[in-house]
Amino acid sequence: MADLGGYAGKILRIDLTRREAKTVDLDRSLASQFLGGRGFNSKLLYEEVGPDTDPLSPENVLMFATGPLVGTMFPTASRFNISAKSPQTGILGDTNAGGHLASEIKFAGYDQIVLEGRSSEPIFVYVNDGEIEFRDASHMRGMDVYETDEIIKEDLGDRRVQTAIIGPAAENGIRFSGIFANLMRAASRTGMGTVMASKGVKALAVRGTGSIEVSHPRKFERLVDEIAEEIRGHEQYEGRRRMGTTRILLMANAMGFLPTRHYTAGSFEHAEEVSGERLAEEFNVKSRGCFACTIPCSRFYVVRGGRFAGLYGEGPEYESQGSLTSRTGNRELELALKANDMCNRLGMDVLTVSECISWAQELYEKGMLTKEETDGLDLSWGNGDAILTLIDKISRRDGFGDVLADGTKPAALKLGKGMDLIMQVKGLDLIMADPRGLKGFGLGYAVASRGGDHLRSEPFLELNDDPAIGEKMFGVPEATLRMADRGKGKLISFFEDWNAVIDALEPCKNIMQNMEILTFDLASEVIEATTGMRMTPAEVRLVGTRIVNIERAFNVREGIRRRDDSLPRRFREEPLEEGASSGTVFDQEPMLDEYYAERGWEVSTGIPTSETLEKLNLLGARSDLESLSRD
Amino acid sequence: MRRIIVEAAECAGCRVCELACSFRHEERFSPSLSRITVIKEDKHGLDYPLYCRQCESCPPESTCPTGALSWTTEGTVAVDRESCIGCGSCVTACNYDAVKLDDSSRPLICDLCGGEPECVKRCPTDALRYEESDTFTETIDDAFSRLRKEWKIDG
Repeated sequence: MADLGGYAGKILRIDLTRREAKTVDLDRSLASQFLGGRGFNSKLLYEEVGPDTDPLSPENVLMFATGPLVGTMFPTASRFNISAKSPQTGILGDTNAGGHLASEIKFAGYDQIVLEGRSSEPIFVYVNDGEIEFRDASHMRGMDVYETDEIIKEDLGDRRVQTAIIGPAAENGIRFSGIFANLMRAASRTGMGTVMASKGVKALAVRGTGSIEVSHPRKFERLVDEIAEEIRGHEQYEGRRRMGTTRILLMANAMGFLPTRHYTAGSFEHAEEVSGERLAEEFNVKSRGCFACTIPCSRFYVVRGGRFAGLYGEGPEYESQGSLTSRTGNRELELALKANDMCNRLGMDVLTVSECISWAQELYEKGMLTKEETDGLDLSWGNGDAILTLIDKISRRDGFGDVLADGTKPAALKLGKGMDLIMQVKGLDLIMADPRGLKGFGLGYAVASRGGDHLRSEPFLELNDDPAIGEKMFGVPEATLRMADRGKGKLISFFEDWNAVIDALEPCKNIMQNMEILTFDLASEVIEATTGMRMTPAEVRLVGTRIVNIERAFNVREGIRRRDDSLPRRFREEPLEEGASSGTVFDQEPMLDEYYAERGWEVSTGIPTSETLEKLNLLGARSDLESLSRD
Repeated sequence: MRRIIVEAAECAGCRVCELACSFRHEERFSPSLSRITVIKEDKHGLDYPLYCRQCESCPPESTCPTGALSWTTEGTVAVDRESCIGCGSCVTACNYDAVKLDDSSRPLICDLCGGEPECVKRCPTDALRYEESDTFTETIDDAFSRLRKEWKIDG
């Protein structure tokens, strides 16, 4: 592997059952076909985890992967992907975060760390360059993320060690528990923390002292300079510096797609009070950044007065801030900060937590749920104290919290009601953008390989609402009109491929995609300067297409078909009544037809065709899928 | 004289300075080989880079048992790798924790990149500045206490 720059060159495989570690050289063809990060994980998941694997069994594999740009000074290259079969959804599980863990993994000498088997005793795994230690974690049982981080650093006598930690929620088997790096970098979608807990692992601690070299240093440096300059001159630069993604909240509100009171409305009358602007003005004290960032967009806040005085922390980002305010009807920003802080410390996914709470709130408001069933909690919209109580109860599986602790679908089954109101796709709770006001986003949620989430595609061009862009890029003006249906198959295919490439290289998608920096053309140059691999822009996109298809093949093998690519009934049948996104519903079927055709998937079933898989050199998946039932 | 100054309230802890430094000096990316090292305290949102302060009286230079450290005309401390025996006494002697050893136990000390420090050039928040200043004696502990006090958060 010495011939490829950028990569550390090794994969670390850790057998927790036998307490053995071995390293495998990174294969050049794996690098050229899947690039890294999410690509490496999805490929390995397809090969090693089948339909008969219980996500919480020792046979599931939990993978941490990062990309070839990470560890260098490529702007924003800081991210890692964690994947396994999901205990929350039963299909592909995947989550991604930034901070300073990914670069440390690279400096320790690895592109990917794979945890398999199960430790019989609670441990944390310490990767110290080439030394792997299985260390006792029995004294950390029940500790929150902050406490665990502190005790690990004390145990190891090293403040520079980077950690990935689960909180008590994961240990209590909460299905939507995450893995947290730098205390607050939540890799929390799809229950990867729950998988780590099932393996008997409280934390991964990493310290690396090695180095990363690039293939063409002068060209690499020139590209870094050009990209950094483009970022600094970008119209979004100031807003992101000041507010991070929370800058979106007021925009979403004005455009009428801010999920409010569990998607019963698209704008929130108290949006100003809970906005990114207010957070920045009243609470933020300092900017913080992920590794190698050119726009450090994270923010440290301190609450100095009121009933939450003394609360401090980093973030939150838009999804959390919106989830804990408009989605649940809460107008008290400080309370949302407290709720976010609780989820971080307890180790749970804020989006799913807020879906559980806001779903229960809607049932309560409709008279379908009573105080007898909620342990006496008044779940009226915006009752903030009930939100805090419920977060704590969910994390401990206490009373009504236990009803919600496996997610809304199991809760609806347990209660025998509310199934029609759960806001998920494929078992994953939806994010903070109402698809009735963003049709391409909606299609993205419907087909996303990890379930109802925007980060597989995030077609931000819809926000410009400009037909000229759609005409130019896709030959269909409606493709980039947010309320239109046509052309969305092309739009989503393009954005899914693009995001898959970025998730494989592992810089920050917010910057590289949303700010239109790392195009396929530029990625081709960056990949060559970094790794030495020559790929045309079309070949770079093909890597993205390949990743999307191997993930689809994994899900198809798990039984996913066209019928599962479906948004909740409310979006398909009930228009929003007020605001700038009112009056239309999500017309799903024609968009799916167009998308499958664009993808080269069978339109009736959503299964990738043999020709498509062969073109992508996914020959194993081709023969696997040929033998599957079409139903 | 011109020296590197840091404003702790502006440092975002992105560690671009570490990368810029190791790339400039070693043509590879490695915080272990950079002459600047960012200390981070995530819980309190604090970040602070450690690097040579060009002190008039330099304890590492005066305590080096083999005289391997010496002042240059640019006002930086140079390392003679031949006479250095890798004892690490410079690491413990420095009042600002600015010295660390490379993989052959030789000290890594800021050389100001010949007057155009790469870390300053690439700092995305301008927390690092290179400017005329008689003295700069704030320690990391001073800086962290100052900010904790200002923000009214516990130590």
